[in-house]
Amino acid sequence: MSGLYDAIRSVAARYPESRSAILPALRLAQQEHGGWLPPEAFRDVAEALELTPAYCRAVASFYDMFHLEPVGRHMVEVCTNVSCALVGAQQVLEAFEGELGVAAGETTPDGEVTLRTVECAGGCGWGTVVVVDHRYHEPVRPEDVAEIVRELRDAS
Amino acid sequence: MVRVTIDGQEVLAPKGQGLVETAASVGIEIPVFCYEPRLGPPVGACRMCLCEVEGLPKLQAACTLTATDGLVLRTARTSEQAAGGQSAILEFILLNHPLDCPDCDKGGECPLQDLTFRFGPGSTRMQFPKRTFDKPIPISPLIALDRERCILCYRCTRFSESVSEDGQLVAANRGAQSIIATFEDEPYRAHFSGNVLELCPVGALTSTTYRFRARPWEIQNVPTVCGLCPVGCNVWATTREGKVARILSRNHPEVHEGWLCDKGRFAYDHLRAEDRLRTPLVRVRRRGFEEASHEAALDAAEAGLRAAGSSVVVAFSGGETVEQATALARIVREGLGSDAALLPDDWDAALDAFRAPLSAIRDADVCLILGDDPVVERAPVVDLWLRAARRAEAEVIAVNPAGDVQAAPGSAAQVCADLREGKKVPTELRETAKSLKSAKRVALVWSEDDPTGGRHVGALANELHENGRAEVAVYVLPRTPNGRGVATAWYTVGEGRSDPPGEGEIGALVVSGDEAASDPRVADLAARASFVLTTAMFQSELTAWSHVVLPGTSYLEREGTYVNLEGRPQRLRRAVVPFGPDELEWLAQLAERFGVAIDPWAAPTAAEQADLPPADEFAWSRPDPQAPPGKPAGPGLELVRIGALFSGAAVERIPQLQFQRPAAEVELAHEDASTRGIAPGEAVVVTSNGTSRELRAGLNRKLRVGVVRIPAEHAKDFGDRVQVSRLSTGESR
Amino acid sequence: MPRRELLLEDADTRDLTKLAGYEAIGGYASLRKALDMERQAVLAELLDANVRGRGGAGFPMGRKASFLPHPDDTPKPIYLVANADESEPGTFKDREILLRVPHLFVEGVVIAAYTIGSGHAFIYLRGEYLAEFEVVTAALEEARAAGYLGKNVLGSGWDLTVVVHRGAGAYICGEETGLLESLEGRRGQPRTKPPFPAISGLYASPTLINNVETLATVPKILELGGKKYARIGVENSAGTRVFSLSGNVVNGGNYELELGTTLRELIDEIGGGIPDGRELKAIIPGGSSVPVLTAAEVDTPLDFDSMAQAGTMLGSGAVIVIDDRCCMVQLGLRVAQFYMHESCGKCTPCREGTRWMVQLLRKIEEGEATQGELDVLLNVCDRILGNCLCPLGDAAAMPVASYVAKFRDEFQRHIDEGACPFGGESSLAGVLAPVDQHDAHLRSQIEVPGIRAERESLTEAHG
Ligand SMILES: Cc1cc2nc3c(=O)[nH]c(=O)nc-3n(C[C@H](O)[C@H](O)[C@H](O)COP(=O)(O)O)c2cc1C
Ligand code: SF4
Ligand code: FES
Repeated sequence: MSGLYDAIRSVAARYPESRSAILPALRLAQQEHGGWLPPEAFRDVAEALELTPAYCRAVASFYDMFHLEPVGRHMVEVCTNVSCALVGAQQVLEAFEGELGVAAGETTPDGEVTLRTVECAGGCGWGTVVVVDHRYHEPVRPEDVAEIVRELRDAS
Repeated sequence: MVRVTIDGQEVLAPKGQGLVETAASVGIEIPVFCYEPRLGPPVGACRMCLCEVEGLPKLQAACTLTATDGLVLRTARTSEQAAGGQSAILEFILLNHPLDCPDCDKGGECPLQDLTFRFGPGSTRMQFPKRTFDKPIPISPLIALDRERCILCYRCTRFSESVSEDGQLVAANRGAQSIIATFEDEPYRAHFSGNVLELCPVGALTSTTYRFRARPWEIQNVPTVCGLCPVGCNVWATTREGKVARILSRNHPEVHEGWLCDKGRFAYDHLRAEDRLRTPLVRVRRRGFEEASHEAALDAAEAGLRAAGSSVVVAFSGGETVEQATALARIVREGLGSDAALLPDDWDAALDAFRAPLSAIRDADVCLILGDDPVVERAPVVDLWLRAARRAEAEVIAVNPAGDVQAAPGSAAQVCADLREGKKVPTELRETAKSLKSAKRVALVWSEDDPTGGRHVGALANELHENGRAEVAVYVLPRTPNGRGVATAWYTVGEGRSDPPGEGEIGALVVSGDEAASDPRVADLAARASFVLTTAMFQSELTAWSHVVLPGTSYLEREGTYVNLEGRPQRLRRAVVPFGPDELEWLAQLAERFGVAIDPWAAPTAAEQADLPPADEFAWSRPDPQAPPGKPAGPGLELVRIGALFSGAAVERIPQLQFQRPAAEVELAHEDASTRGIAPGEAVVVTSNGTSRELRAGLNRKLRVGVVRIPAEHAKDFGDRVQVSRLSTGESR
Repeated sequence: MPRRELLLEDADTRDLTKLAGYEAIGGYASLRKALDMERQAVLAELLDANVRGRGGAGFPMGRKASFLPHPDDTPKPIYLVANADESEPGTFKDREILLRVPHLFVEGVVIAAYTIGSGHAFIYLRGEYLAEFEVVTAALEEARAAGYLGKNVLGSGWDLTVVVHRGAGAYICGEETGLLESLEGRRGQPRTKPPFPAISGLYASPTLINNVETLATVPKILELGGKKYARIGVENSAGTRVFSLSGNVVNGGNYELELGTTLRELIDEIGGGIPDGRELKAIIPGGSSVPVLTAAEVDTPLDFDSMAQAGTMLGSGAVIVIDDRCCMVQLGLRVAQFYMHESCGKCTPCREGTRWMVQLLRKIEEGEATQGELDVLLNVCDRILGNCLCPLGDAAAMPVASYVAKFRDEFQRHIDEGACPFGGESSLAGVLAPVDQHDAHLRSQIEVPGIRAERESLTEAHG
């Protein structure tokens, strides 16, 4: 795993103190481990930054973008904060639930797609905002959902 | 000094003193949970200390403020707003806190219980189910965690992060889901873990060794001193029905700031180990040991010693009190006419010129650590002071095979000589020499055995003082708890004389205590002795060589004086009564038979909580000691043995401490591992002197190439050099 | 008042994301100008401009910069941090700036760093903003290649390193001290103040923290001159702001307006009014953490003082329009859920109080609450307010208390009728907040550590 080690060391070099590189390091480790952070990932990050695995896990668990359990190959995130909710976010979410056959917070049985709600994604004027694999779709209406899911399925 | 007004009362306080302390100085209590100055700067998390500050619209967390001139503070006693804030916080804290005080181990000594009783609401307005967790879960074999009781003051995690810096105990998740946790299923395994038990202001963290053992009203707390390492932390021994039930710290701010290592905190139960010697044993020809009466044992001891004439050697443990060591020295020297002794630690009195409290380490500009033994294994609390120094922005330089300067094993004396020379400093020490030269306050720590009694580091200290004009403090870490006191007692009685144990036959060998009894050098003497008299708490390989064995006692069972590594005499108090006479009584009775008068009941020489005697008038007039020649190179890797803190007779007898014992691991430098194709965690074979052992490989990126480190208990029978190789696939399991 | 574009000027007609385009409209001229001036003189322009922070708190930018020690008076490095963590619900204006005028922002960063004598700037960018990350990184690359930052900026002999640091999903990291903790590689829990970042911030060194929009204003201030800039807008609220308009409005989006424009102008004239023939019910004028305004208050001007007079705040400039289909109890619940989810867990009143608020609001919404519990809710808000370590707790308590104050009868009907008067037809009915999702999730995850066998024996032995 020295590729990850070296990558983390080089990110760390950008900061006056290497601890500052923990978020980029966890992000790299998460990419390397299929989108989530298993225990080995914390051991790797800890070694590269001279921290402890417990510390790395404590930091990761503070942030919503790190996943401590396996996730699907794709991630669909529906904003249900006020601005989006006022214009029908729940209906969009339900459309995804119907299309994917899973409830929010779950992953499809084939391990392809994880669906979850998120807090304000920062696209409020163009609600409902849906973030698919870190790319924003704005606005999304329930009738757009089938198409988004089809594209996702095709991509895999 | 500045003038502060608290609840209408004028208070003079040193500028910058915390307001909590300032209020306390005039008897005004500001309730706190998260505030604990020993954990670093205040964090203002629990908000229990909310007070009104004149001129500020919002309530302020008093714990985060310090005394400034003209500040006007109103606590809940005089401010309605503050009282409202305080009651709000207490209500919030209690929202999810279970009402299980009657079952809780903290009951009766719980700050939350006390504050609730005094200021809390009579009833709860919370109609929802409380947050629930699995409970209690052991976060180590020593510590149980009840997350429902946790009020998230973060004292425990702050200790782990910023005092012991072990990074093992952390807060996970965010917001209302926050929990205290370790990594996955791994235990909180760190030298100082037990301190979190005392820091926790509620019953969230409790000791598995004390849980349900006693109630606060059934116990007595005896002030004494820990006798398991040369730091000499001040402790309370909590006793119940004549037994030690737990050890708590008694804060001496110059010695240990109230922190204890887990050995000091948890090893007390070895007093009640089943295999403890309770009756004298006398060896009867062909029948082995037989239990004997006190008189019979004394008769046998007297006879054995008389037969030896003056061919007597005494082997000290370094765990004797000063009074015991003095008594033994007088018997041997005055009664038997011998000056031959084996001391666990030597000590040169000239070093007293550099005497300073341990707390002075934190104030140093440069701390230099010399010697191959990890400080934390030899004198654990010293490691905490060094970490505190680093946090205070001191430069802390460890010179050893795994240090900041990766020196060759056994080269500490040479390093002292090189740094002293000034000229032609080897490249690897150049930076260090520069730092030392510009420092105004230097702390020198010597962390391995030094047969010259600390003179190598003393000479360096002298040089820095004379030519660099620096204030220098020297800390030579003895191997044993009272090694310094024992050596001083021995020399004092003999007016400085001491003979090394002679060659050939020995008339009698007196082995004083378990440490000596497990020393291989003593075993060698015993093999040459016609008569061996041993005092020990436990049977060991050496007691088998003995002719008479007298049951020994522990530091918790004796009165007397210990001198710690600083040179500070401290008083041991008897927390529990031993089942028979203690060493001093035995010695007094034996002494009488040789015409030496010893009073076993004399008051100990030290005060209750002693001050450190001031550093002696500057009097360094030693010739500079010669550094020993380096070891010859050879094939294989050079072995450094680590004497682990969690080892020895006391630790071995505490089941809950076994997880702390050193792993069967060999530490390798990164390069040495990769040239051998060894991956971290892999099983490897270590061979030396015809002995082979399977150990796990640990990789240390800071270890000097060509060196391995193995805990002493896993390096038995190894020589100075070892071969390390992968288990061939056929052998691996 | 007219729509007034200063920051977003020309962005509709040209591609300003590329250096060439930005230079073509005079980009980086302000930087050249600044580098020819003494640091003190640049600071004087900022003080003259009287520009107030655009991140939320509205503290005057020049004053804040003047609190930092002069670089010659401190042995420590000085840092500049751009707060690009934008996550206040309703707010998406920094994103507009980052995506459309990234060089304006970068130029602002460079000038601000020069002003305080910093050689090291960090941009703390919201982790979710991937496209923005790409645009900003590209802009920085171009600027570096052109000598606007890096070694020896435009031959001035002064070096500036700029590092983009991406967050990882935590609203609290927008709070300046939480941001610093996060940037130092810790959990983003706010620090107690004092010491303020200007004295002891990043790595305990003097640090200036400003919002993206505030920094993007800096080149414009130098271009116009501070005094002239101060004449834009109204008394105490100089300049323009990029307002984020969202909710039940026809044309949601970001609009740059002169401060002092009324809510009505923004919502009706620019935003096209309320869709579907519905009625305006309420307005959240500055992001979800500020007290609500009713439809009757729609003529309030969007400036700091007018908002304060109306009992609310300009906050982050996020205007959320709410029509008559919205149940205010559900709104309170959803807002409280957000703050509960984002509470960092450090201080007691916020961590415990937001959770209790959610419990009470849900009970009221479900028609199960007693009269007393509505009082308890208000009292809980009151007990959070002003007692927390950072303003997040207040951000939950203030709006919810205002919903009860301004729409009391709606809360009362939930209690009297034993059910939500909207009968499931409210626009917010049944919205699944991430906290609900987490609750289910955490139940399975919470048993984290423990040596399993030992745990069982201990649990058995002592219950
Ligand atoms: C809970 C909380 C969240 C915040 N989030 C942001 C944010 O996302 N972006 C921002 O610029 N300021 C945010 N702030 C305000 C910052 O603390 C800080 O005041 C601001 O970045 C200063 O920049 P300014 O003076 O240019 O406005 C937040 C404050 C609080 C209390
Ligand atoms: S376990 Fe105890 S010390 Fe740790 S945060 Fe909880 S209450 Fe505080
Ligand atoms: S004691 Fe002051 S906030 Fe906890």
